[in-house]
Amino acid sequence: MSALENPLTELEVVAPSPTPVVPASDLTARALKFTLGLGRWVLIYGAALVIFGAFVAVRHVDPIAMYTAMWSETIATPYGFGQVLDRFGPFLLAAMAVAVPARAGLINIGGEGQIVIGATAAGGVALALGPHTNGVPAMVLMALAAVLAGALWAGLAAVMKLAGNVNEAISTLLLNYVGADVLSYLVYGPWKDAAGNGQPASKPVPVNDMLPTIGSLEAHIGFIIAIAVVIATALVLNRTRWGFSLRAVGGNPEAARRAGLAVATLTISAMLVGGALAGLGGFVQFNGLEGQLRPGLAATFGYTGFLASWLGRHNPIRVVAAALLLAAIVVGGDSLQISTHLPGQAVNILMAVVLLAVLAQRPKVRAA
Amino acid sequence: MLIDILWGAIAGGTALLFAALGETISERAGVINVGTEGTMLSGALAAFVVTVNTGHVWLGVLAGMVAGAGLAGVHAWMVVYRRASQLATGLVILFLALGITSLYGADYVSSNIHGFVSWRVPVLGSIPGIGHAFFDHDPLVYISYLAVPTVWFFLFRTRWGLLIRTAGERPESLRAYGISPTKVRAVAVVLGGALAGVGGAQLSTALALSWSEGMTAGRGFVAVALVIFAAWNPLRVMAGAYLFGAAITLGSELQVHGVRVNQFMLDSLPYLLTLAVLVLLARRQSQAAPEALGQEA
Repeated sequence: MSALENPLTELEVVAPSPTPVVPASDLTARALKFTLGLGRWVLIYGAALVIFGAFVAVRHVDPIAMYTAMWSETIATPYGFGQVLDRFGPFLLAAMAVAVPARAGLINIGGEGQIVIGATAAGGVALALGPHTNGVPAMVLMALAAVLAGALWAGLAAVMKLAGNVNEAISTLLLNYVGADVLSYLVYGPWKDAAGNGQPASKPVPVNDMLPTIGSLEAHIGFIIAIAVVIATALVLNRTRWGFSLRAVGGNPEAARRAGLAVATLTISAMLVGGALAGLGGFVQFNGLEGQLRPGLAATFGYTGFLASWLGRHNPIRVVAAALLLAAIVVGGDSLQISTHLPGQAVNILMAVVLLAVLAQRPKVRAA
Repeated sequence: MLIDILWGAIAGGTALLFAALGETISERAGVINVGTEGTMLSGALAAFVVTVNTGHVWLGVLAGMVAGAGLAGVHAWMVVYRRASQLATGLVILFLALGITSLYGADYVSSNIHGFVSWRVPVLGSIPGIGHAFFDHDPLVYISYLAVPTVWFFLFRTRWGLLIRTAGERPESLRAYGISPTKVRAVAVVLGGALAGVGGAQLSTALALSWSEGMTAGRGFVAVALVIFAAWNPLRVMAGAYLFGAAITLGSELQVHGVRVNQFMLDSLPYLLTLAVLVLLARRQSQAAPEALGQEA
């Protein structure tokens, strides 16, 4: 299959040029440009809110009341914000699982499956350790298992790409479903909790092995883990030889090969790191919130992460903001059910409209 | 029992077949639509809602077609005219469909319809065995039998088919002839969406006779996989759709006959098969792929 679009070409266009000393007369021009840019974003998000408002108005729900409820139940209260942070952690890791391979020009749509397999591995370790564990060491083991499993799942796609020239976007997409089936198979079969109430779920993890929560927010520390890992990843991407090499491979693989870079190794490593990040996302979700494996665990998290990465144009700092925004929208959706009796899934419209508006913006530089 | 499995494979594979035929047209023009899951879902709901409210199931199918085409139109506008990423936009289309169908479908979850019923084809339907398997289905199945050669003929024997294939192979050469590859691509994507919409309609108005949130259950993604599996060939798409349809229905069929088999292993079969085909037939597959697939026109 021929090359799919390279997600990095946009990045190159917006790569910062060295900043010269600014003459005073340029300052007004810059301020004007900044204001116009800001105005455009306000317009995009405002339009998205209006469009979603129109959708719900058809169902005889007052959009203003809906947005007020969404606001007050997400950002405005510590509890609501805590819930947003709980979603934000795995979303952010899932997004970075896309952003890192994107540096090397690879498209990883497999965060969805890599998260699920990561959580499954963490759950498997929990079952193997049994009920008498001692907190931190057990959690470290589970995190390691999740990271390895996620990396392995993405590594399959990397190997297929190198050995069989199979497009990684397609193989990672297909592996998502296999991952979900593996989880379902286990919790309906060998890992089903015999002492449970008949639901397909594994035995709950001991409370000691769950990530601690932060006082008034009632959020677990998963979001702190995620931010720390993202900072580390960003530093590695921007300060190390490996990070620069990835960028070179993503920009022009043929030139990178001629320059003596090990393109195959770089390709595999980028996918492995991406998978590992998603796997860690699975750990954060499992040990932070779920506590037991069930079918549909972390469903759509990977796809949301994929979109967060695109929303942030694969740039770590922007991706953090994008993941936070999408987490707020999703949690806002949960409040829809309570405040307006609309199905929570309806909020996907808002998310989609924002993304359509952003994806439709292209730098004007590329004429071809 | 073999006959029952074959019957189930065709009944269960028809929605897949329509969607994959649509995706074939779209990908032949160079555009991947991973939002097919979403276009199917919107087709399923639109068909169901219109059937409930008008009582005419054929009007429902038409509505499903329009809904699928409309959503694919958004995809076309984004990727063809705004040059947005095909994969990212496809996923957004899926989320958009999930949102819209859950918002407007909630009232219809427990509705009943007079949908399609089986109609045994005279003469052909009374052939022992095969008659039941192939000619004892709802009318949309028969339409899908016709759709396969029609799509093949359209793609490989008509001027429009040639334009579509060229838009997927060498879009710049279309431009040299004064034809806009973007317009050709947009038409192909919308056509593909219309077919996916009919596939969704078959699910809600013939197979399940009900609406439930997310009822396509991944069939749209299977359709995307199937097109690659079938090397962008409508005739192979048909064979693949029934093979995958068999994997979907085999579990319950075997259970009826007392064979215990794990449903989730069967569920993952289509994906594993496609991956195996991609690895084993990488050369054939990459030759069959439209050269400009996924690229800008």
